[in-house]
Amino acid sequence: MSEAKLPARREFAFGAYVSGAAFTADGETAGFALGSGAIKLVTVADSSVREIAAHKGASLSFAAHPDGNSFLSGGDDGRLVRVARDGETSEVAKFQGKWLDVLATHKSGGFACAFGKEIRYWAPGATEPKTLGPHPSSVAALDFSPDGSRLAAAHYGGASIWQIRNPASAPRKLDWKGSHIVVRYAPNGKFLATTTQDNAIHVWRLANGQDMQMAGYRTKVKALAWTADARYLLSDAADCFVCWDFSGKGPEGQPPVEYGFGDGRAMTAAIAHPDSPFVCGGFENGALRLGDMDSKRDLELRPGADDRKPIRAMAWSPDGWRIAAGAEDGYATVFDLKAKS
Amino acid sequence: MSQPIPVTVLTGYLGAGKTTLLNRILTESHGKKYAVIINEFGEVGIDNDIVVGTDEEIFEMNNGCICCTVRGDLIRTIGGLMKRADALDGIIVETTGLADPAPVAQTFFTDDEVKAKTQLDAVVTVVDAKHFPLRLEDSREAEDQVAFADVVLLNKTDLVSPADLAAVERRIREINPYARIHRTQKSAIELDKILDKGAFDLQRILALDPHFLHDHGHHHDHDDGHDHDPATCDDPTHDHSHDHHHHHHHDAPNPKHADDVFSVAAVVDGPVDPEKFRVWISGILQSQGQNILRSKGVLAVEGAEQRFVFQAVHMIADSTWGQPWRAGEKRGSKLVFIGRKLDAEALKAGFEACKAA
Repeated sequence: MSEAKLPARREFAFGAYVSGAAFTADGETAGFALGSGAIKLVTVADSSVREIAAHKGASLSFAAHPDGNSFLSGGDDGRLVRVARDGETSEVAKFQGKWLDVLATHKSGGFACAFGKEIRYWAPGATEPKTLGPHPSSVAALDFSPDGSRLAAAHYGGASIWQIRNPASAPRKLDWKGSHIVVRYAPNGKFLATTTQDNAIHVWRLANGQDMQMAGYRTKVKALAWTADARYLLSDAADCFVCWDFSGKGPEGQPPVEYGFGDGRAMTAAIAHPDSPFVCGGFENGALRLGDMDSKRDLELRPGADDRKPIRAMAWSPDGWRIAAGAEDGYATVFDLKAKS
Repeated sequence: MSQPIPVTVLTGYLGAGKTTLLNRILTESHGKKYAVIINEFGEVGIDNDIVVGTDEEIFEMNNGCICCTVRGDLIRTIGGLMKRADALDGIIVETTGLADPAPVAQTFFTDDEVKAKTQLDAVVTVVDAKHFPLRLEDSREAEDQVAFADVVLLNKTDLVSPADLAAVERRIREINPYARIHRTQKSAIELDKILDKGAFDLQRILALDPHFLHDHGHHHDHDDGHDHDPATCDDPTHDHSHDHHHHHHHDAPNPKHADDVFSVAAVVDGPVDPEKFRVWISGILQSQGQNILRSKGVLAVEGAEQRFVFQAVHMIADSTWGQPWRAGEKRGSKLVFIGRKLDAEALKAGFEACKAA
């Protein structure tokens, strides 16, 4: 990475909390979900923006649709909405009175949302969902296994792993005390990581169910990202990149790799590059930093400032050349890492 | 910086009149926008306000302390509300009738994001004047709900005799002499008496007894306790005598039962040493937090121009800087504890030892 020139960027002022960001499969359209219930579709080539009114209240969950050409948005109006890149909108489902704040998709075509103690799972091509659950408490997060055969749910007391081709079978239970709020499969399918209300990360080695606890955070971890090679697990919540190394014997008894100390402000969003060992963090003062896991060096994409608001949503395009980020105050940006400004 | 959104916690035993009060909040044309978090989702006709139904999910923290519990559903719901584009004037959280108010209050002191965006304004407890004495006999929750209250709505006053009403009010005062009591029928109350009161009610701990620096321990609290002016009130059922209350509100009362809730006020005639106070209060909350339901105080801190406002629920404490002291104003520190099995003398002596040298 040359530090002489920053990647080209486009910036937008969307005027409402950016709660989600995602790209279409070709990376040409970036979608931003807003607290106003609107979805903003940005055509990266010409920076044109189209606004879709998707929800009455806020969009609470947002992801790229597995079809590659559209997005899924869950709202506090109970609607799960598909928004195509051309703006065409259709209601996938409506759950009256529910908040759809948990959503996961898989490239094979399946997707799932959760509200209360239950999951609704749409198999690839299905129009009607299957119900998984109830869980012992509300489902706080979902993630598909890399091969799409399993769906992990985080909840109070641990995580449950469902075999989604056989929803009638009982889920595998991974128990650990506390309220689990994020769940992420390692890209090699060997580990499952969660974060808990008590400012810690918990990871299970799925082959034998062995688990490990990673603590030391001053605040709770709300974003986890595995590098594509499954070597590093990046977390937000600290004032730098905190990356737990899962190579060799794993992170037990080892301090994490830490670098990219900026201005002492906490990271509030974290993503990893889809194939290469790069990571990107968004911070509470609006800063954006790109990190290189090989050299342990970082590049400031956007400086932070006291009057800037926390970055709340980030996405890397599937080809790895673009980054979308959005903040609490409606700031949104798309970086093109190929083009220099 | 945006102001934290005030949160009102609404508690009360089953049938006390909570729902009636909520419906008033939702239907009155107050020109404000509130989010109301209720236990069950019901279709309510609301023009402006947001109604969110959640299941109370009480989560233990992993720090090994059994009283450190939070409401997981509230953390998520408030996180969701903060994303919305429309600015809220307040959030009202209704708890179930049998609920312990501690987890909901602790949520506002422990979760970083909730703390950053909201501020616990007041715990409002609706009490059924007719059935409260019975509730006290058969449940600990009814007593806890009053102990936690910043504001008590003594409701259904039309269903009891004047003498019984006075007795119920005295009983409430024994449990919690610091709550502001409003007598109501059918939960009819002006909303500005229960919503957005916060700082006011904490400052009131000092104001409650303006003479406390000279007159340790006695609570002349009756004229703050009613929402009318005792000087002009000629209702014979209202107790306006100073002396009468002294028997009930003494700092070290003799509870009828060993585990009755009572309160202790500790005062320091002057500023406290911040480090001594920090060490002492964290030790007290650590060792006695299970019995201390609530503690709150307004302190003069050596070297600080502002009042130090402290409050805690069980072991979990929170503090802010309040109003600055006026020039020439006498600076005093007062701390109150509401709980069970409190050692009044030890608490008072401990606080006294925090006095700045």
